[in-house]
Parts: sequence; structure tokens; C-alpha cells
Amino acid sequence: MDLMTEDIISISDFTMKFGKTTVIDKLSFVVKRGETFGLLGSNGSGKTTTLRSLLGIYTPTSGTLHVGDAPYAVDGNVKLGYLPEERGLYKKENVIDVMTYFGQLKGMSRHNAHEVSLKYLERVDLLSKAKTRLDKLSGGQQQKVQLGVTVMNDPELLILDEPTKGFDPVNRRLLMDIIEEHQARGATVVFVSHQMDEVERLCDRIILLKDGNAAAYGTVKEVRKKFDGESLDNIFLKVYGQKAGQL
Amino acid sequence: MHNFGTVFRFEVVRTLKKKSFWLVSLLFPVMIAAVMAIMYFSNKATDDASKDYDKQKFSFQVKDDSGLVSKGLVSAMGGKLADSQEAGIVAVKEGKLDAFFFYPKNVAESRIEVYAKDVGVFDNGRYDGVAKSILQQSATATVSKNTAAILGNTIESKSVTYRDGKEYNALMQMIAPGIFLVLFYLMIVTFGNQMLNATIEEKENRVIEMVLTTINARALIVGKIFSLIVLGFLQIFIVMAPLLLGYLLFHDNLDLPNFNLSELPIDPLRIGIGFAIFAVSFILFTGLLVAIGAAAPTAKEASSFFGIVMVFIFGPLYAFSLFISSPEMPIVQFLSYFPFTAPIPLMLRNAVGNLELWQAFVAFIILAITAVIVMLLAVRIFKYGALEYDRRLSLKEIFTR
Repeated sequence: MDLMTEDIISISDFTMKFGKTTVIDKLSFVVKRGETFGLLGSNGSGKTTTLRSLLGIYTPTSGTLHVGDAPYAVDGNVKLGYLPEERGLYKKENVIDVMTYFGQLKGMSRHNAHEVSLKYLERVDLLSKAKTRLDKLSGGQQQKVQLGVTVMNDPELLILDEPTKGFDPVNRRLLMDIIEEHQARGATVVFVSHQMDEVERLCDRIILLKDGNAAAYGTVKEVRKKFDGESLDNIFLKVYGQKAGQL
Repeated sequence: MHNFGTVFRFEVVRTLKKKSFWLVSLLFPVMIAAVMAIMYFSNKATDDASKDYDKQKFSFQVKDDSGLVSKGLVSAMGGKLADSQEAGIVAVKEGKLDAFFFYPKNVAESRIEVYAKDVGVFDNGRYDGVAKSILQQSATATVSKNTAAILGNTIESKSVTYRDGKEYNALMQMIAPGIFLVLFYLMIVTFGNQMLNATIEEKENRVIEMVLTTINARALIVGKIFSLIVLGFLQIFIVMAPLLLGYLLFHDNLDLPNFNLSELPIDPLRIGIGFAIFAVSFILFTGLLVAIGAAAPTAKEASSFFGIVMVFIFGPLYAFSLFISSPEMPIVQFLSYFPFTAPIPLMLRNAVGNLELWQAFVAFIILAITAVIVMLLAVRIFKYGALEYDRRLSLKEIFTR
């Protein structure tokens, strides 16, 4: 089976309205199994709404959003790792308890979730904090734990909504390493970011949203070709009708 | 209900790890134990003084204007007669005398006055005991044994009442089914806030998106509700067990009503009805408080609704006498069948025995259906209100989304 020909995400004629405001208007795109896909757009362009609707948090006004061959279900047949834009964990609980809990919710046995959590904490130099309450950790340490919770079940679909937001350079490097590891073992990665250099380096294909529509969609090469070989940074600025420094 | 067990375990374990849970659970029995201890030592001191008055090693004088006190008794107890009230008080003040008792002319309307040297909060009770004992013994010595028993309020009576030709003790019959009313009250009062805040943490910590993409909202809410129910029962056990133990061990010393538990009438039908109404009511209000918490953005905002729920639950207590004396009145019927006011009227009427079986059945069905609707609503509110971090979800949004 050629992984890159099978759709793991398919969105068709997706429309989302909040009251009288149309946030997404008949959006269609697919993400192929095994690829790294960039979901781009300025603030308010509908990226997070699209992801939340795809994952069943929002109910779409119309259209179909499938993960695998059906709407996303927590007990469906696609293993998901989701790092949302709005982040947080049970701050009054111990790191290891929270990680084990989420591991179990993701279908791992308690023992396995515990072991995997310890292994991850050791990797990110937080093993000594395993029994520390989350609210006693620094912001960066909490982000590492959140990332661990996201990837601990070896997801086949990894959705990261602005993953580098608030990360210091060290944690950003860690995140990139982890994304690359998952790419290497065949996971599909959907990546929402404003860091165009990272998108250009990591993504196979991208979609650039503007006002709830696809302003550009295809491989990075195709999109750049369509915009006369401009960098993604400049394409972004061009689509939003701004000059550098105004966004 | 995939993951129900995982949520249930996580919620129970983390609550049991909280100091606040144990503080709230243990505070009540500790306070009751402290009150019991004070009562015990106070009663003991007074009893010791009145029973062993002849062994009391303190000097005292008596001024008797009533003419009831036996001078021989005072003398036998080592006391003396004072020249005047003023002289007796001065002698105590100057430390020449331990105690002085003044008996007024009309003891029925005026108080016996006791002036004494302070010997501590518990032992001070002995003076009062001795003063009363002198008067009581002096008076009973002048009447017959029967009259003395009547005056001493030591007469006992035995009542036997019948219903449908069978012996029936209305008060005793109330106790077993009435326990559910007390349990319900205690569980809502001690655990209500925790129910209200059950889903607030997910919102306040922004963990909701991680949760909703990992577990079904229904499994999460039902898991939380059932963990709350189990924790509620556990908390009541922690509160009640020491109290029950204290009562069984020390009730003889505390002037508490004493009855033989083995004689407690057990009516399985009424106990069954009481339990059924209690259980479904508790599930209903747990679901309701969880739903309210899910609709509110913060714990502070959620708590403002707690008072409203309390009015629904405990407001009917103001019609207490009607539930007992006039169960057929329309207001009683309404409060008994309206699900959010029904628990107290139903449990109370069941305890006093005026809730018919068919009425209990209809009310139970109403409560059960409402509980299921409220739980489904709680899931819906949680799902749609979860991402409203800064504002409360409106009723329109709950039903139209």
C-alpha cells in the first residue's frame, strides 16, 4: 500500500457559521496518510475552527469531515495525538499521574502508560519531577509534559495547533526532533504554524486559509510555483495583502 | 462507556488525596466529639457533686428564706447556717469559705443563688449540684415515696399504640426510613460544592480540548458523577461512623435519648422506598450541579447558582408540618411531584407513613426520568460549554446548538 495515496483526513464542503458569521465557507481538502501537512493562515482565518470541527469538538454547519473513513470518534480506529492551541493539564495533580491517566484514556494499560511516561520524562530531563505537581513546574516544563501526553500513544495522526507557541529555543528543538521522529516512522503530521521556515522545512503539502477559504493548496513546491517562486513568508504576506512588518 | 472506569478511578483517587476532603469530612465529627466531651465532663462533674455530696470536701454555708431546707441535712453534710446573705457572699469573696448557697423565699419563681470559689470549668458544676441536692432531699424527706417520685420526675410510663390492629410506634417507625432524609441533607450540604466544581477544573486549566479528543464527553461526565456519588457516601461514612461509635460508647454519660437499637422497627417496604427516592434524588442533584458547573466559566460564577439549587432542595422544609398533617393538600402534592423540590417532601412523608406506594412509584419515575434528562443535559452543556472559557452558556445555546 502506498501510504501517501490514502487519505487520512478528508474535508468536503465544510461550512461553519457562528450565529450570522460565516467562519469557514465550503472548504475542501485532504491530508494523505504519512505526509506532513501545513495548515496556515493568519489569526481568525479558521484554522483552529477547522481542527476542532474535524475532531468533533464543534459541530459543523454543513459538510463532511472524516478522519480515516468516518467522522472522528475517540474510540475510532485512528490513533490521534492532538496538541491544541489552548493548552493545559490538571495542574494540581502529579506529572506522572496525569500522564498515566491520559495514557489510559488513549487505550494504554495502566502499567504501560506509566512506563512510557517515565521513559519520556527521562528523555526530557524531567524524571526527577515525576511526582511533582504540575503547577510547581515552570511554563517550559509544563509544555514538555503536554507534548509527552500528546505523543505517548505513538499516534498515527499527530495534529499540532501552533505547537511552538510560547516554546523557548530548547523546547522548540525538542518539539522538532519529536515531530521528525514521528514523520520517520510513518505518522501523519498536521501542523498549524506561523513559522514559515519550519513549515517549508517540515511540510510536504500545505493549505493557506483566508476568510474561511483555501487561498493556496498543494505541495510546497506547487504553491511556491503558483506565486512565482516566492518564499512561503512572502506568499503569506501577499495573500493577506500586507507588506512585511505589518502583520 | 469506554474509559468510564479510568475516569472514575482517577477522580476518586485524586479527591481522596486532597487535604480539603479529609478536613471537611473530619471537621464535623471532631466538632461533635468536642461538644460531646464538654457535655460529658460537665455532666460528670455535676453528677459527682449531686450523688456524692457527702464526700464533697468543701466548706459551705446556707441562708434559707424558703423554710424548706433541712438544717439537720446541712449540718450532716458539714455545712453551716449563715447569718445573712451579705455575710455569706463576703466570706466567699475573702476566701474564708468555699461556697455559699442562698435559697429565696419563693424557690418556684426565684433562683437559688450560688456563690463559690472558682475551681475550674468542669468542677464548678459541683456547687450547683450540691445546692439543688440539699433542697431536693430536704423537700422529698417531708413527703411520701410516691410523691417524692412524682416530684423527682422519676415516674416511668409505657405507651402502646395500634394501627390496623397491630402494635405501632409512630416515632420509632420514622427512624429507619427517616435516616435517608438526614443522609441526603448531609451529602448535599457537605458535597454540593464539589459537585458544582466537578468540571470547572477542565475549563480553568484549559485541558478540555485534550480531554474531549481523548474521551467521550458522556463517559467523562458519567464517570465524574458516579465518582462523586461514591465519594459522597464515603464522606458520610467518615462523618457518621465516629458519631455512631461515640453514641454507642458514651450515650449513658451525655444525657442523650437512649433506645435499644434491637427494638427499632424495620419496615422493608418503607426503607426500600426511602432508599430508592434518596438514591435517585442524589443522582438527579449531582447531575444538576455538574450541569450548572459545566455551563459556568469559573468556580466563582458557578457558586452563585448553588444557593438557588439549595432553595429548591431545602425550601420545602418550611412546609414541614403540612407534609405530616395534610398530605392531600395541593401544595404538598405539587412539591412532592415537582422533581426539583420532591426529595425532602417524599422522604419526609415516607418516614411518617403517609406516602402511598403508588405515589412513591409515580414520584420515583418522575425523578428517574428527570435525572436521566439532567445527565444528558450535563453532557451536552459540558460538550458545548467547555470551550466557553470566559462566558456562561445561555439556555438558548444549550438547546439550539
